[in-house]
Amino acid sequence: MNNFGVIEVASTKTTRAPGWAYVPDVGPSGAQAALPTNRKRAARNQSGLSLSDASARQDAKIRKDLEALDRDTHKDVVIPIPTKGGRNTKHTPNVRKILQSQKTFANHLDDYQALVALAETNPAAAAALHPVIPTNKPSAPPSTARNSPAPAAPTASSTKSTTTQTAAASRRSAAAAKRAAAKEAKEAKEAKAKEAAAAPPPPPPPPPPEDPTPNDTTTDTEMTDAPPSEPTTAPSEPPPQQPQSYPPDGTILPAYQRPPPPSHPGDDDPLLVSVVPTFPTDEELRALMTALPLNYLEARAEWGDEEGRYPTRTFCEVCGYWGRVRCIKCGARVCALDCLEAHREECVTRYGL
Amino acid sequence: MAGGKKSRASGPTPPSTTLVLDNGANTIKAGFVTQTKTDEPRVIPNCLARDRHKKVYVGSELDKCKDFGEIVFRRPVEKGFIVNWEAQKEIWDREFFDEKAPQRCDPSETRLVLSEQPNSLPALQTHCDQMVFEEFGFSSYYRGPASAFNAYNDIQGILKTPRAPDAVVERPAEVLLLIDSGYSHTTVTPVLQGRPLHQAVRRLDVGGKLMTNYLTRLLSVRHFDMRNDTYVVNEMKETACYVSLDFKGDLDKTWKGTRGEKRPDYISGAGIAKDYVLPDSHTRFHGIIREYEPCVSSRIRKGGVSTEDVLTLRNERFVVPELLFHPSDIGIRQPGLGDLVMQSISVLPVGLWPGLLANIVVVGGNSLFDNFIQRLQTEILERVPDACIVRVARPEDPITSTWHGAANFAKHAHIERLAVTKQEYEEYGAAWVGRKFATGLGVDGDKQP
Ligand SMILES: [Zn+2]
Ligand SMILES: [Zn+2]
Repeated sequence: MNNFGVIEVASTKTTRAPGWAYVPDVGPSGAQAALPTNRKRAARNQSGLSLSDASARQDAKIRKDLEALDRDTHKDVVIPIPTKGGRNTKHTPNVRKILQSQKTFANHLDDYQALVALAETNPAAAAALHPVIPTNKPSAPPSTARNSPAPAAPTASSTKSTTTQTAAASRRSAAAAKRAAAKEAKEAKEAKAKEAAAAPPPPPPPPPPEDPTPNDTTTDTEMTDAPPSEPTTAPSEPPPQQPQSYPPDGTILPAYQRPPPPSHPGDDDPLLVSVVPTFPTDEELRALMTALPLNYLEARAEWGDEEGRYPTRTFCEVCGYWGRVRCIKCGARVCALDCLEAHREECVTRYGL
Repeated sequence: MAGGKKSRASGPTPPSTTLVLDNGANTIKAGFVTQTKTDEPRVIPNCLARDRHKKVYVGSELDKCKDFGEIVFRRPVEKGFIVNWEAQKEIWDREFFDEKAPQRCDPSETRLVLSEQPNSLPALQTHCDQMVFEEFGFSSYYRGPASAFNAYNDIQGILKTPRAPDAVVERPAEVLLLIDSGYSHTTVTPVLQGRPLHQAVRRLDVGGKLMTNYLTRLLSVRHFDMRNDTYVVNEMKETACYVSLDFKGDLDKTWKGTRGEKRPDYISGAGIAKDYVLPDSHTRFHGIIREYEPCVSSRIRKGGVSTEDVLTLRNERFVVPELLFHPSDIGIRQPGLGDLVMQSISVLPVGLWPGLLANIVVVGGNSLFDNFIQRLQTEILERVPDACIVRVARPEDPITSTWHGAANFAKHAHIERLAVTKQEYEEYGAAWVGRKFATGLGVDGDKQP
């Protein structure tokens, strides 16, 4: 190979896929950082790897680098509020507490995660604290997207939508949704009562509002009214394969008059027929449109199976070109000899000879 | 009893003026809306800043600052959410409530419509609601997702859909896939009739701040230490960086080559290399981008007569925005924007895909990078069946787009269903308000033929 103490990683296994110049070595990818929030997935990715010194150094470096990139300022900054008189300095107890809080987002996130962890170990206690934690992020991998658009199941799986889907008819489902909402509201009320008794008070996230006043019909109808006037044309049993016009009339979404243009020369081509998707049923739409927000961690996108298969691109740490050569000492990538020399000066300073 | 008496019909009429705030991590967009009038929003730096002479600027006072060298910031919004209310209150007080505030209003006679980023923490939402009612005392209030507000813009106009000149603009838009790429992060939200499909919201933790920090690092390794000059670097990023449509090709063109040799593209600059003149804090307070002149930089290096600090930008120009499409380039284990969109829609019924893919709108400052829209469209086209129509567009001003959507929302009938009065807050409490906002519009039949 060569005698510069480097490993040539661009060997015979060169991929020509667009965007990838070289396949990196098969060792640990060195990208274990980036605060994996899904512990199960992180554990799976790590299994079976034995880290060499060099890649451990790379891992540590990447982690440190990412933390630095996430910072708002290079140095810790303290800018006190400039004093300004003439303002009301009386605050409610809530406001005083909020204004005095020096918690960072990370602190708040830790608090929240502690609550979620409690939900895993002690669901009953957590439920009391936190009536609805929508932990139902559908984990359908995007890998099906490219090839066949097999209909993804409508996975808005709140208790409400489950109830909705088991209802036989769409009209009845509205009633069911109403019952479910009422049930949730009741649970929330009970939970609230328990919460008052229990210790740490994280604000409960949001089931649908309890109907505040009997006279106020607004919030009630929001949740429950079925499409009015027009008799619903939805089939009584919603079999997913039921062919429908795109989209059906008289449903939650009105008919498209505009893009995408529904007619296309390829529409009649039997080879393309699977491309014309079945429009979701009213129940599906209803469930999707009324599902509650995911929590902060659930909404964070993670690598799917597809991305996991691609090699990570590596770059020269000195000039930013492809990192085709690896420093045997620290695992850093460089493009060629010029940059390797530049790197070795720094490498020796940092790790010694 | 009081609650029993109150109903929509007989209750107090809502305030005629609404303060619409899109309270971003980098800037606040603020303006008043009445039924008949929508002011243009002010764009207010959402920070306290201290320059190298120890002078402190709060919010819009920063406009008076000239020398941004070594300036440091304190920001109330972290990760897109209001975290530090001590700082946020100071800025709001000076902009909206103090006697000499540039957009003074009396909260007791004003409704507040406040945008928020999706998937906030419940504790932070509660703090926000408590501050709005208990400290500022707004008489009416709605806090809602920025993505959904965008549905009240003229989406088909943004997408340049051919239509009759007298066509009525639909508000909210029937279907929209909104991408919001701002200071803190980038989110994808499918929105049907103004309702965000929460199960499909996905976030990529790459935003303007991370990209500026990354550029700062590259410059500090390759040129000089810019770590105390992120403001200057951010300006450089905004003027000089672009999204590459041929990453591999551009990278080749900007490579100097192996030992000794200098490749011709490197010498000529290949149309990619640019010179950037740094501010000198005496005559020049902002950087200037120039065509690359090989001799200029070499003259400087030899200690020539020029007093300018010039650095030549090469692959720094496009590897920085590339993080939106390949976050793994710096070890972030998250999908790029193309896969982010696919992950989002993959949890939705396939029947919704054509509508969503044909109505993609990108807002937020990062969408201003050259080629951003074209690259995103290409990335998505590579991932969907050939017959799919993919349309991606950016509103004329992607920074104030959310504000304008929220302003339209403030005039729409939907606000009356969602807003909460101070009286309701006092009667039913913060938890009830939080649930009502999270529940949103629900489903209705108001679009029925
Ligand atoms: Zn190199
Ligand atoms: Zn090394």
